[in-house]
Amino acid sequence: MNTPQENGGLRCGEVLADLSAYCDGELSGSRRAAIEAHVRACPDCARFGGAFAATLRALREQLSAPADVPADVAARLAAALRRSRTG
Amino acid sequence: MTSDTPTDHELLTAAAGGDAAAFEVFVVRHRGAVYRYVHSLTKNVTDAEDVLQQTFLAAWRAAADARVEHGARPFLFTIARHALHRLHRSHMLITEDAVSLEELGSRAGFAAPHVTAERLAQAVEERAILAAAIEDLPPLEREVLQMRDLDGLSGDQVAAALGIGLEAMKSRLHRARLRLIAEVRRRVPTEDCL
Ligand SMILES: [Zn+2]
Repeated sequence: MNTPQENGGLRCGEVLADLSAYCDGELSGSRRAAIEAHVRACPDCARFGGAFAATLRALREQLSAPADVPADVAARLAAALRRSRTG
Repeated sequence: MTSDTPTDHELLTAAAGGDAAAFEVFVVRHRGAVYRYVHSLTKNVTDAEDVLQQTFLAAWRAAADARVEHGARPFLFTIARHALHRLHRSHMLITEDAVSLEELGSRAGFAAPHVTAERLAQAVEERAILAAAIEDLPPLEREVLQMRDLDGLSGDQVAAALGIGLEAMKSRLHRARLRLIAEVRRRVPTEDCL
């Protein structure tokens, strides 16, 4: 690991804290540029930032497919709603 | 209903007027997402189905008062969340832990040169590993990850559904994502220490 350093005017811990905001597009342009400058000069943050972004992509691609409920669950839900209207 | 794909607001307005068919369309549209959210927290199909039914029964009764300007999911998840709390009080009231962000990062492999990004990337490509890692998150973190990253709600919608501020939601989400990576990393069989 590199000694604590400032690249792009940021310490590694600040990059770590901002990774979600970065990936979610919530940072200002200047903050974003500072993070990118840091990551270009810091192998640790480049590696971890890559893994972090890959994880978010994998979550969305693999697990976010819209799934319906099982047919029997759907049928019992419809029955419960019917009962509530008539009962 | 005025178009082929009525909005949630139109469906609920019709439902509030007693239109059961409109509510049925609404149910079919959202039951999968509600079930998945609830199931991820109960980890139990019986409880999940119970909460699913309670949620839509309550939504039917509350249709006239529903505020769905931010979409129906926050409205439904809020109802489901209350039902879950009644059912699983002890599980859901677990308070957020005090592990520092740095510690979470270090568990996730931040600044650990021997964990290659490729290795972690391979692991997260495996659906089973990712799903198991999510299962092992603390409930509050699993919940925020489910809503934001799996259901794709906006930050504002998730904060509304959880009844917390946007900044608190973002902080919880970030911790959840770091802990998820730590859990994935724990499941990578051997780490080469080159
Ligand atoms: Zn760094």
